[in-house]
Amino acid sequence: MRIIVLCIMLLVAPTACLSLAAERELKVGFIYVSPVGDAGWSHAHEQARQAIEALDGVSTSYVEAVAEGPDSERVIQTMARKRFDLIFATSFGYMDSMLKVARQFPNTVFMHCSGFKTAANMGNYFGRIYQPRYLSGMVAGAMSKTGVLGYVAAFPIPEVIRGINAFTLGARSVNPQATVRVVWTKTWYDPAKEKEAAKSLLDVGADVIAQHQDSPGPQEAAQERGVYSIGYNTDMSRFAPKAHLTAPVWNWTPYYRQVVEQVQKGTWKPSSDWPGLAEGVVDLAPFGPMVPPAVRERVQAKRAEIVAGRERIFTGPIADQAGTVRIPAGAVAADQELLGMNWFVQGVVGTTE
Amino acid sequence: MLRVVRRPASPGWRGALVVSGSALLALAGSLLLLGVQGVSPLAGLKVLVLGAFGSAWAIEDCLLKAIPLFLCSLGVAVAFRLQIWNIGAEGQFALGAIGATWVALSLPGLPKVVLLPLMITAACLAGGLWGLIPAILRQRLGASEIIVTLMGNYIAILLLEFLVYGVWKDPSGFPMTPAFADAALLGTIGSTSVNWGLVHCLVLGAAVWVLFRFSRFGYELRACGDNVRAARYAGLPYDRLALLVMVLGGALAGWAGCIEASASLGRLQPSIMAGYGYTAIVVAWLARLSPLYIGLSAFLLAALRVGVEHLQLDLQVPAAFGSIIEGLILLTVLAGSFFLTYRLVPARRP
Amino acid sequence: MNIDLLVPLFAAAVVSGTPLLYATLGELCTEKTGVLNLGVEGVMLVGCLAAFVTARLTGSPWLAFAAAGLAGGLFASLHGVVCLLFQGNQVVSGLALTLLGTGLANYLGTGLVGQAAPGFAPLPIPGLAGIPVLGPILFAHDPLVYLSYLLPPLFWLFFTKTRPGLHLRAAGEFPGAATAAGLNAVACRWVGVVAGGFFMGLGGAYLSLAYTHLWTNNLTAGRGWIAVALVIFAFWRPGRAAFGAYLFGGIMALQLRLQAAGTTLPSSLLLMLPYVLTVAVLVFSAGRRRTAPAPAALGVNIEPPA
Repeated sequence: MRIIVLCIMLLVAPTACLSLAAERELKVGFIYVSPVGDAGWSHAHEQARQAIEALDGVSTSYVEAVAEGPDSERVIQTMARKRFDLIFATSFGYMDSMLKVARQFPNTVFMHCSGFKTAANMGNYFGRIYQPRYLSGMVAGAMSKTGVLGYVAAFPIPEVIRGINAFTLGARSVNPQATVRVVWTKTWYDPAKEKEAAKSLLDVGADVIAQHQDSPGPQEAAQERGVYSIGYNTDMSRFAPKAHLTAPVWNWTPYYRQVVEQVQKGTWKPSSDWPGLAEGVVDLAPFGPMVPPAVRERVQAKRAEIVAGRERIFTGPIADQAGTVRIPAGAVAADQELLGMNWFVQGVVGTTE
Repeated sequence: MLRVVRRPASPGWRGALVVSGSALLALAGSLLLLGVQGVSPLAGLKVLVLGAFGSAWAIEDCLLKAIPLFLCSLGVAVAFRLQIWNIGAEGQFALGAIGATWVALSLPGLPKVVLLPLMITAACLAGGLWGLIPAILRQRLGASEIIVTLMGNYIAILLLEFLVYGVWKDPSGFPMTPAFADAALLGTIGSTSVNWGLVHCLVLGAAVWVLFRFSRFGYELRACGDNVRAARYAGLPYDRLALLVMVLGGALAGWAGCIEASASLGRLQPSIMAGYGYTAIVVAWLARLSPLYIGLSAFLLAALRVGVEHLQLDLQVPAAFGSIIEGLILLTVLAGSFFLTYRLVPARRP
Repeated sequence: MNIDLLVPLFAAAVVSGTPLLYATLGELCTEKTGVLNLGVEGVMLVGCLAAFVTARLTGSPWLAFAAAGLAGGLFASLHGVVCLLFQGNQVVSGLALTLLGTGLANYLGTGLVGQAAPGFAPLPIPGLAGIPVLGPILFAHDPLVYLSYLLPPLFWLFFTKTRPGLHLRAAGEFPGAATAAGLNAVACRWVGVVAGGFFMGLGGAYLSLAYTHLWTNNLTAGRGWIAVALVIFAFWRPGRAAFGAYLFGGIMALQLRLQAAGTTLPSSLLLMLPYVLTVAVLVFSAGRRRTAPAPAALGVNIEPPA
């Protein structure tokens, strides 16, 4: 009798252990650089976090408005100490801090957004937002009557410069005479300053306003003047229904889901991921009612080409503002080049400082 | 009805009592505010205290944050004693970081034992300069040092950005300087995460205290007190003292900037600015401008910051909550200090 | 720079200077009675949030505007409690108010970041708006700007020609003599603090009701501090305060317009302009007048009667 019970226990025990292990939830932490309520960057990550929270066996937590620098190191460290299994840090400035902490906690997986450093337990990721930016540039170029496009930009860092370049290339593919004028606000979200910057661009003749900012300030300015605008991060049409043409938007859910599954299954490996339109991490917001069918079709066709891998956007010959050819004819800019981009293409009026 | 009567000079313990009591009152008030976000005040208190003091690494975090706070407050306190309102610790901190970075980037080949002192010297000179300018403007032209130091904060941060986006930009294209060479890094003490800045603080704190108690400068400072005209009549060199305290304050804040750039970041980037210059005012006031108590006050306010981070992580309390607590503490201490100078007695009917 | 760029620049200067004007007049009101309130930034932000919340709740921008003033006055009365009742140091209390005000507004407004509220839209005055040059600069803005045009002359009238105004000034110049003459100097200061807070709140409201229709953390972005400096620049006179507010509004607008026009100057240096100008203005205004026009008892608390 006892032997039978023992055998049954030996058979049942391993399965019991397996199910227990599966019941231990994966703790995923998110660190945001700005409040999640902004209709922008952090909000997009937050929406994905909520989607992840709904998954089986996953619990999430977040800290918002964490200043880059020593503060972020403490926050990441605290999360690691609280036995979080997977931590996402969603701003460039967290890179060094995350690397430091990653070295101290080899069993935790660290994922850094918009950076370039990796470790055995740290990967980085970003999204090819420049792809929908190109598409939005096409829309802007087609809808502009003056051919002058205004771009309200936050900081002269490669991702912003890259976005401006893609936008300009897209606009010029539709209108080769189009120019893009850039104003730096040196802030990610300050609606008052961003709106003022947009107005200053409108005063020099721009009739479509685009932005690399997290607040809808520029959209308001465009709507008030009765011109068009391109949003960013999320669909901003509710702030400027008469002006908002479209927007390059983020959708982190599919990517985060993928990483979470990899960590759950134990198949995660450090890498530098840069998914784009094809993977669904970036997209173009729905067109506003004012965009005519001809423009929509042209942009959708181009979108399909990008998704299929036939259009690489930064394909030479591409010259900079001074006229020097930076990407030779026939060549496609490598990812490394794009990640460190600090020059403007022809057609952009503005400084990179 | 009550009447207000001036007290004779009060013993030090009463001051400590008033400050502690007021601060606790402010803390309680702030925690009650948590209810607005749907968080229980008791839960908040628990997280705050455990987060700041609940483990060895929490204490280390508090010490790390206290280091720059301490140095900035020391500088602010010296100036405030002369009723010179130095709100520019933030900008002086930034200038110090810039000065240190300039040395670190220009002379990377030097050995640590030469490089670090040079960096600190450059930081003190730069910070001191940033304190001197408002002092001179105040003296020669009567320009309000409140405004000039405050504007100096904004200008300093923009200067930092200008350098970091321009001539000092890292080759990767991101807004930060290249990483400092190892010789330029202030290391950590043993296996803890606390850097040698802690020792700097102890030494500098002691030095300033000795200066206050035993030197002529300290005597003159104390004698000047809050009555400028009387001080001048007494023949005290108020003008010279005013310049000196601002330079000293700037140099100390600059030293803090050097430590942060060298030990915490290992490079210069805009995120080095963490509002230490403003919190330093709260620290200095809580310590009643006495170098002896600034250490404790800085540690407690650093602990508050660490605790608030945990509130964010555990209870999703917005980051702005820390400012509420700091502001309330300062207000209650100001109000409570009334009872150090005055007493309420029942009004006698004539 | 041709006229085509100058007219929009001046128009932007007026709009950009309006919140500064409200706040500066508020601080001026407070300082005239002898109280220094450095908490303008905090009071403005509280008013800004109050306006935004009220506009969302009631849908009425005017109600929201009034609510902002009330909130500002209420919040500033904390300064009154600490300084006028408890003899607290005015400088430090003001700083504390900035910390508390910005913290409180940012904290309470967390859930509202990224939302919009009904506000004021530009309302060109028929006829006047058509005047070449002056029309677009002065008469093509929202109602709050037009309201602000009335304030400097009203303030001037009040403080120089009316008895209550002179009483308030007495509390700021010679509180001891004023008390001896039968005035309640402390009550005068209370009026100065609360009324000042009211106008500071209005200045904040402008940012979330008219300048933009949005809310975010620290929407005031340092304007409160510039207001404090502007009071000094204005020699405590309402007319000059208006000039200063529009000048600074113009500088803040200029730096962005220079970029839009295609300058090659680094943006960090351009952004320094308002702050450098503030210092320059202090230096020159301090240097030229040997006699300080500041209220004589500014910053000095009135001791309780022995």
